[in-house]
Amino acid sequence: MKKNNAGWTFKISTFSAVLLIFLMLDACKKDDPPVEDRDDDLVAIPYNPKSYTIPKPEIFPEVPVPPDNPVTVDGIQLGRRLFYDPILSADSTQSCATCHLSSGSFTDNKDVSTGIDGIAGRRSSMSLLNVAYVSRPLFWDGRSPSLEDQALRPVEDPIEMHNTWANVLDKLKTHASYPAYFRQAFGITSRKQITKELAAKAIAQFERILISSGNSKFDRYLAGDPDALDDEELDGKLMFFDEGGLLGLPDAQCFHCHGGITNTGFSFFNNGLDSVASLNDFKDKGRGEVTGNINDNGRFATPTLRNVALSAPYMHDGRFNTLEDVVEHYSKNGKGVSNEDPLIRQLGFPIPGTNPVKYSGLTEYQKKAIVKFLHTLTDIDFVNNPDINNPF
Amino acid sequence: MKKLLLSGMLAAALFFAGCDGTSDPALPPSSDFTVTFKALYDGQTLEKFKSYDYDTYKVNFSRFNTFLSDITLLKGNEEIKISDIEWVDFTPDSAFGNLTVSVPVKFKNVPDGDYTGIRIGYGVKPELNAKRPNNFQSTHPLSRENEYWLGWGSYIFNKVEGKADLDNSGAFGTSLVYHCGSDAVYRTYTFNTPIQVEQGAAATVEFDLKKLFTINGSWFDMKIPANQFTSNDVGNVIVATILMDNFDAATTVIQ
Repeated sequence: MKKNNAGWTFKISTFSAVLLIFLMLDACKKDDPPVEDRDDDLVAIPYNPKSYTIPKPEIFPEVPVPPDNPVTVDGIQLGRRLFYDPILSADSTQSCATCHLSSGSFTDNKDVSTGIDGIAGRRSSMSLLNVAYVSRPLFWDGRSPSLEDQALRPVEDPIEMHNTWANVLDKLKTHASYPAYFRQAFGITSRKQITKELAAKAIAQFERILISSGNSKFDRYLAGDPDALDDEELDGKLMFFDEGGLLGLPDAQCFHCHGGITNTGFSFFNNGLDSVASLNDFKDKGRGEVTGNINDNGRFATPTLRNVALSAPYMHDGRFNTLEDVVEHYSKNGKGVSNEDPLIRQLGFPIPGTNPVKYSGLTEYQKKAIVKFLHTLTDIDFVNNPDINNPF
Repeated sequence: MKKLLLSGMLAAALFFAGCDGTSDPALPPSSDFTVTFKALYDGQTLEKFKSYDYDTYKVNFSRFNTFLSDITLLKGNEEIKISDIEWVDFTPDSAFGNLTVSVPVKFKNVPDGDYTGIRIGYGVKPELNAKRPNNFQSTHPLSRENEYWLGWGSYIFNKVEGKADLDNSGAFGTSLVYHCGSDAVYRTYTFNTPIQVEQGAAATVEFDLKKLFTINGSWFDMKIPANQFTSNDVGNVIVATILMDNFDAATTVIQ
């Protein structure tokens, strides 16, 4: 009996202890913060950043990377997901890629872009090809100093994604996958540490890898294949780079603003699009809206001409539908506005005996040759690169 | 023993804390030396789009930048090169106003002393001009592919752009585009301005566009169409040569 009593006592004691432990554990659970509020909810996820050397054609300059946002494999992958994910917009219908489609060389092929509320913006989306090389401030008006800053802006623009970063961060922090991706990209230990700045850094890392493949006809020509361009394309190239004088070809002056191997614009110009009575009369003041300097009114950033045949329509407001329209515009005089760039004037050869000097204009062949050369900048391998397309 | 050890450590710490590049008795004293580059017109800070009197007509300017090579301080037969290459942009997009910006460049660890002058290369010296932007890291001045002319196989040494109002109508209808480049027009000039380098030392190098376009006391005639631009033919550097030959007259070194 005694033995039995002891057995029961033991069983009751054991049961009590187990019950106590359960109760304690339950109490602990109630006291623990929710996983999203903990400071270390992501530490179990490995963080092994692998630096990434951005591939580029040999003849291209080194891709500039800011020291405070080194490019990593996981950073790029996170940026790519964010770029293509409509989670950034208020109604989850638009992503960065809505206005920057790879098929359009990261433009949307519209005269002006339309946001989630169906409101049309004022300007055409700019190509992101080789954007890492752009040394001037970004956007048509240069309102943003860097890719990291630029990536912050469309989210809260009322005619673009019309969202708030607070909303975006809420969605990212409670998302099933993004906290882990941020951990892998930036080493954060908690989803609470996800910030808009980190999101922008990731998007900037992805945008920085949008570099030409080096397989366009022009690239093959530059790499030493003289047959890559036919005679007409070569004539266009000579005029584009002002190299054809000895061959009887006029200078088209294009390269002054679209210079270098990447043909990426480096500054802001009034390229003679609009006739205005005074510099205050530009419908879109462009760079002047940012600087407040009247002499900057009507000046806009020069975009890259790489893949220009895929990125119609052209100019900041998409007013020209074809490259023929563009070349026709540049072959004529500007509008005589005081801040027009000095290189905006009728093309062709000087007409002897005219002073101020007048120019002959371009022949139809010359215009066609320039357009044909612009087509040699087409880089299909770039737009088809699976590494830069939609990961979802 | 502990006291002895602590004293030794303290002495060593004080000894190492006292060491820097300028106080090492094995090295001559040196200082950071700042040269500020400025763009002027007729002695005043150059202002973009401002109408300037020029001969019997008016001119304005909208862009001015230049490469400078082998900036070297001179002291008798001694030469101290303080820079291989600099790119100086007086009209950067980051400047919101019309006044051209001054460009200060700090040269580190320049040996202290009294120098008799400074030598400056105008443009990109041939050794570097033989290279291309892709030969340089992205932070290097010569990585600027927009300052490289494929057709010439040369960097664009400098750009001066503007317009002229040749008939004083108020309309600046004549474009002025001067882009100099190619080894043939690279120039070096020496300025015998005493320069003292010591802690906090600075000097100023001014480029005056009025002086640049004043050739041997006469205006460079912009009414002549061929004088309104530098030729794009690398075999025709007539205007570029005139300007590059005159950059010494346009330069003033001050300390």
